Amino acid sequence: MQSNISYSLFFEICLLLATTLPLMSFLFSLAIAEKYSWAVSITAPFLLLISALSSLVVFFSVLDEQPYQFAMAWMVVADQTFSAGVFVNVLAATMLLVVTVISFLVHLYSIGYMAGDAGFRKYFAMLGLFTFSMIAIVLANNLLIVFVGWELVGFSSYMLIGHWKEKPEAARAAKKAFVLNRIGDAGFLVGLMILWTHQGSFDISTLDAINGFSEWQTAASLCIFCGVTGKSAQFPLLTWLPDAMEGPTPVSALIHAATMVAAGVYLMIRIFPFFTPTALDVVSIVGIITSLIGALAALGQYDIKKILAYSTISQLGLMVTAIGSATPDAAFIHLFTHAFFKACLFLAAGSIIHSLHHAQHQFHTHFDVQDIRNLGGLRKKLPVVFAVFLLAGSSLAGLPFFSGFLSKDAILTGLVTWAGPDTSWKWLVVMGAFAVTFLTMVYTFRMIWIIFFGSEKKTSGVDLPESPVVMQVPLLILATASLWIIISWNPFINTRWINPALVHSWNVTILSVIWVLVALAVAYRTRNRASQLKIFLHAFYLDHLIEWNIKNVAMKFVGMASRIDKKLIDPFLHGTAYAQVLVAHVTGWFDRALVDGTVNGFTSFVRGVGSVTRSFQDGKIQLYIFWSIFTIIIFLIWTLL
Amino acid sequence: MFPIEHVLFLAALLFSLGLMIIIIKRNTIMILLGIELMLNASNLNLVAFNNLMPEKMDGQIFALFVIIVAVSEAAVGLAIVLQVYQYYQTSIPDSVSDLKE
Amino acid sequence: MQQYLISLLIFSPLAAAFIGVLLPAKSENSFRYLTLAANVIQLFVVLFMFVAYDSAARINFVEQQPWITLDLGAWGFLKATYLVGIDGLSFPLVILSVFIMGIATISSWTVTQNVKGYFILLLVLNASIIGSFTAFDFLLFYLFFEFMLLPMFFLIAIWGGPRREYASIKFFLYTLLGSIFILIAMIGLYLSVHDPVTSGKLVHSFNILHMTDPANFISNSILDPNNPWEIGPYNGRLWAFLLLFIGFAIKLPMVPLHTWLPDAHVEASTPISVILAALLLKIGGYGLARIAFPVFPEAALYFGWFVGLMGLISIIYGALNAMASKDLKRLIAYSSVSHMGFVLLGFASLTPEGVAGAVYQMFSHGIISAMLFLLAGVIYDRTHDRMISTYSGLSSKMKSYTAMVLVGFFASLGLPGFSGFIAEIMIFLGAFKSNSTTGILPESFAVLATLGLILGAAYYLWTLQRMFFGPFNVKGHIAESQIYDLTQREYWMLIPLAAATLCFGIFPQPILSIIDPFAKHITEFVLTTGRNLTLSL
Repeated sequence: MQSNISYSLFFEICLLLATTLPLMSFLFSLAIAEKYSWAVSITAPFLLLISALSSLVVFFSVLDEQPYQFAMAWMVVADQTFSAGVFVNVLAATMLLVVTVISFLVHLYSIGYMAGDAGFRKYFAMLGLFTFSMIAIVLANNLLIVFVGWELVGFSSYMLIGHWKEKPEAARAAKKAFVLNRIGDAGFLVGLMILWTHQGSFDISTLDAINGFSEWQTAASLCIFCGVTGKSAQFPLLTWLPDAMEGPTPVSALIHAATMVAAGVYLMIRIFPFFTPTALDVVSIVGIITSLIGALAALGQYDIKKILAYSTISQLGLMVTAIGSATPDAAFIHLFTHAFFKACLFLAAGSIIHSLHHAQHQFHTHFDVQDIRNLGGLRKKLPVVFAVFLLAGSSLAGLPFFSGFLSKDAILTGLVTWAGPDTSWKWLVVMGAFAVTFLTMVYTFRMIWIIFFGSEKKTSGVDLPESPVVMQVPLLILATASLWIIISWNPFINTRWINPALVHSWNVTILSVIWVLVALAVAYRTRNRASQLKIFLHAFYLDHLIEWNIKNVAMKFVGMASRIDKKLIDPFLHGTAYAQVLVAHVTGWFDRALVDGTVNGFTSFVRGVGSVTRSFQDGKIQLYIFWSIFTIIIFLIWTLL
Repeated sequence: MFPIEHVLFLAALLFSLGLMIIIIKRNTIMILLGIELMLNASNLNLVAFNNLMPEKMDGQIFALFVIIVAVSEAAVGLAIVLQVYQYYQTSIPDSVSDLKE
Repeated sequence: MQQYLISLLIFSPLAAAFIGVLLPAKSENSFRYLTLAANVIQLFVVLFMFVAYDSAARINFVEQQPWITLDLGAWGFLKATYLVGIDGLSFPLVILSVFIMGIATISSWTVTQNVKGYFILLLVLNASIIGSFTAFDFLLFYLFFEFMLLPMFFLIAIWGGPRREYASIKFFLYTLLGSIFILIAMIGLYLSVHDPVTSGKLVHSFNILHMTDPANFISNSILDPNNPWEIGPYNGRLWAFLLLFIGFAIKLPMVPLHTWLPDAHVEASTPISVILAALLLKIGGYGLARIAFPVFPEAALYFGWFVGLMGLISIIYGALNAMASKDLKRLIAYSSVSHMGFVLLGFASLTPEGVAGAVYQMFSHGIISAMLFLLAGVIYDRTHDRMISTYSGLSSKMKSYTAMVLVGFFASLGLPGFSGFIAEIMIFLGAFKSNSTTGILPESFAVLATLGLILGAAYYLWTLQRMFFGPFNVKGHIAESQIYDLTQREYWMLIPLAAATLCFGIFPQPILSIIDPFAKHITEFVLTTGRNLTLSL
């Protein structure tokens, strides 16, 4: 056990509370009886509120201080200790704050959104477990514990995507999410193996302290990146995220937008010094491909949640690209801002869906409430949601005075610096990133325009109730957090009080302002054009490709394996069994015919001889005489001749 | 006087006939007759051989002895046959098979 | 007192069986309580052992009694002793056996056909399982090992499903074949090993501890390390290792010697499946680590990659077959094949992590597979239909059952927090490290084995999706009233298992600290002795 003197007991208690209260919430929600499930709606947000407040204390204590470390032995094998502990630096504390605050807001929102749901307890239990495992990823001092949390968030994500398990699509999406994550996790695991073999330690602080780059490090970092592609929905494992929208919308906001999918990005930032330049090149390329696919696919969607999902993929890709371009700080700032505005967008979308569902119940109409083609002109009926959506959307699109502008600016600056003055493939990445910001503006504008402006479609004549207060409060808080104020006092020159070590270039700032305004203009001009390419709608058929592969390749192996068992091994066994039986029959015949035959033959011979000799003495006197005479004659002939 | 061989030949013939009768005939009376025939054949032999040594009477006395024996044998034999016939209602030895296993 | 603890463990079920024989067959409940009483006694003994266990000593609770001593004249003496003990390899398995046998007894409560015979066989099986996990004399081990077959055969053949005759005979022949291989190796060892303690006359010993020391081999005997016979491509010792390996691999079971397992599982009744999966399979892995590896260390080094390869094939092949299974029990049986492949991979790596992971995997798989088979039994009890396609959306009718299935499935696919994760991560770390430290397994084995994890997630979640999620529906002649949630008795079986896998997943150290000295000892022993023997050839 090791502990730092400079940290007070109060800090440690706060850290403990921030970490374990979500777990308490999980256990409490599981343990409580079904008929008291209403209690969960009080305890769960309350516990999370304390957790969030504690993490605020943790955040301010760690700021400008040495990292706090604490570890204890979890397992000891072969004199090597696998420890479990925390390593809290500013990065981790910030992320902890993001996770607990958004989780609290989502808990609060869920009270309204999930009211009356049959799986109320289970839902909050899983949210609690998710928050706990996410905190484990954020704070863990070694990669093994990160991996534990990594898998556990996958599990809670599985449970929450499949929350409405009567819906076959939900069950399917949940399975897909978990399996695709598992593929990434397998890569992560290989990375852990490489680390264990070459480094003998999973400690993040030692990983960050490794000097020089070697080949195994490239391999290990790429393997860990493989885990990131699964969790953060990077190319080619990105197809689970749009499907994951089958889950309840608050879940999408918390897990599939703000925190879990960002875990991969966070992990890479945390162990950034470990990544070798070669690995980073791969990372940046994968990131920009993902980002472009996401942005283009978002352009082609009609489902409001799917637009947001592809947008998330695109933004995550951008963060990963930023890491690849060796500016992890920029990536983190974007992660930070994105967490707020994207959670806000999802919750706002959830509000729309919630209101429409209620209206549908009231007026007995049926249409797909998530299809934006059925919506329109909602700004009058849902003013609060509209305002919130506009704020967060502007942040996503990267308009000045919003947090998204600043973080995107940081990424673009980093990319330009990274690409350098010479022409190389790196400039392609930079151009890709600019294209992504352009596309982001376009699809965001399109989404907002179709939903809130224009004329009402299916919703005309339907009374839309605004969401309850518990749902509006989180929306408003998050919308406020999408303003520039959250990361910088100055909307253009960011003092960046979260991370002051970034370079800043006025050229890029001005360029991106102009670029965004151009994009806005283009978006406005093309707002009514149906640019719906099939290839965008299906996200470049990546999903079909994977499914085709699974059906045609993996299942072929599966079928082959079962055929080998049924047609090869078992028949072989049966064959040997039959052969044995055959041999048994042959030996049986041998037994009967030869061995028994000899014995029987001998007895029947004896019996025959006996019956012959017996016939000499059957009481016929004349025969006796005949035979004696006969014998005498024979004897006489014998002796005389 | 004809040579002894002729007598011996006749005796052998009679003996053989007797033997044949014993083996072939099914009736006990006939078997007894066969025995008589064989005894008489042997008597003939005894008498014939006695002729070679006339000063001794051994052969003839022995023949007389045989005749007496044959008579008593025939008497006893016939008595047995009669008894058997009374008991079994047959005089064929093959039908009398009570002792057969 | 401590030295009789193991005998108490072995003979308390036998004594109960003896009492059972004397009781009238009509008093059915008395047999159930008799068996339970024996389990409770064993449980207390094991608890006491757990407290008294000393990790520093290599073997605990040793008891040695003279058993067979035969004067063979010019050939010396034949000596077999009743030598039992517990070390880091056997202790987790003994704990597991006692635990699982108790669960199996509770699960057998509903058996109504020939109750007397059933419970007496169960008690005999219990004794022979504990016996084979604790024997340190090869002959004694073999006796228990063989004796296990008999009750198992009858338990499948009499109380099994529709194709029970086929399954039981297949099981019997398969394992008998394995036993014969082991017997041949045992005779070879008997001819080659002498007891170092007795001076003067030659004493042939069956003591496994004597067998592990190369100095105890009679010079110019068949398996003498210094002068082994060459038979074909390998020498006698390599052949003997292969014989033992195949013999134990059948029990494990290893692909392609595994096909008895799905059939036996599908046909056996629930408690028997539980014992089969949780305990009998472990004897394969146990035998490898107890006999094959330490007795023939240079062969273990020579064939290590082969053992690892077969493990890898089992992992992937078993998972693929599980995916193809249409029958729930068959699926779980194939998943057992896949998970036992990890045991082979871990042992083959000969790294402390790998071996510790392999032992932990046996322990953990015992708990998890027991739970899975009980869960399969729950639905079978209700509807007598195990086909996955019959059901859908069970979660809406059977909430607690679905929760338990979730626990079981996720534990089995290696979710952190459950014991399977600890075992698998250790095995992965060890197998990967093997190339750089022991040089036995290439790194690609560990990397490819991760496929097993992915496939594991795929087939379990697919099953969940098909059987438990979606709208409720059952096919065939199953009435809706037949589908009801868990009963009290089923809770009593499932909750301890779920708690155990969770507990050992979060706090692995109590068991790991027992296993660890063994893992360290055996890897060091096999590596150094094996290398010395390889050099001396």
